[in-house]
Amino acid sequence: MPRYELALILKAMQRPGTSAALRRTVETLMERGAIVRDLENLGERLLPYKINKHNQNHLRGSYFLIDFYSAPNILTSLLDHLHRDVDVVRPTVLKKDDQVSSSNCCGS
Amino acid sequence: MFQVIGGRSVQAARVLAPRSAVLVEAVRGRKSRTDPVAKSKVGRIKVPPPVDPVEMVVLKERYGEYQMIMRALRWQKVYAVLEFKEEMLRKKYEEDTGSLAEERARQEAQEHRVLMDLNHLENQRILKLTRTRAARNCQRKEKEILKLQEDVKNFITLENLDQRIEEALDNPQNYNFAIDKQGKVVKQTMLQ
Repeated sequence: MPRYELALILKAMQRPGTSAALRRTVETLMERGAIVRDLENLGERLLPYKINKHNQNHLRGSYFLIDFYSAPNILTSLLDHLHRDVDVVRPTVLKKDDQVSSSNCCGS
Repeated sequence: MFQVIGGRSVQAARVLAPRSAVLVEAVRGRKSRTDPVAKSKVGRIKVPPPVDPVEMVVLKERYGEYQMIMRALRWQKVYAVLEFKEEMLRKKYEEDTGSLAEERARQEAQEHRVLMDLNHLENQRILKLTRTRAARNCQRKEKEILKLQEDVKNFITLENLDQRIEEALDNPQNYNFAIDKQGKVVKQTMLQ
């Protein structure tokens, strides 16, 4: 199965809210048959610009990275679901490339 | 009124008409058979052009010779074509079943055998290469499968979920760093 990465920007919330949102997202993924590999937290940071979503202006957000294996046909429905989630500011699914061999790297 | 005739009526009319002229016959123009003759043509007697006997004899001789020669040439051409065709057929027959043909066939068979042998050798060589390559791929796939089986232990499941979320929230990762050519971290921006 191809390997994807969900770069999730959640609303700046308290800990229980964030953990609930994350739990919801991972459960959505698993419902659709994805296998979640890893969950990383990139911290709560200032957003690069004001984002207006769900009738709210956001200045800070918490960045999370979820890599998972899934079938490609679920992605559209998944993104649809995430766009509708009130706590999610911006969801982005990217394909994860295989590790490039760094043996013959130019410049070294 | 007068029309040039050609075709089957020509042969009959040729007997009556003068030898050197083009054959013409009267054709009903505007008037039909029953119409009376025009007033200006009432007593008309048609007179063919006079033939000079001396000229006639000379012309007849010359034309006779000329036509004899032309007819001979035409027939010669036809015979030449037929001869040519015969020659071509003979040559073809010799090529197909002559003595040289056998030699050529033998040589070709030999060449064919040599080429087939070369082809056989090539095929064997390539088969060997393919087999080694396939074995290599198999090994690589096996290694990958083993690695994946190891990784499976670290995947997130419904039981791990809460624990992993707590872990993640406690340890924020920061990828904003720069490295030099040796791979040592040089600069790192702080988390706000």
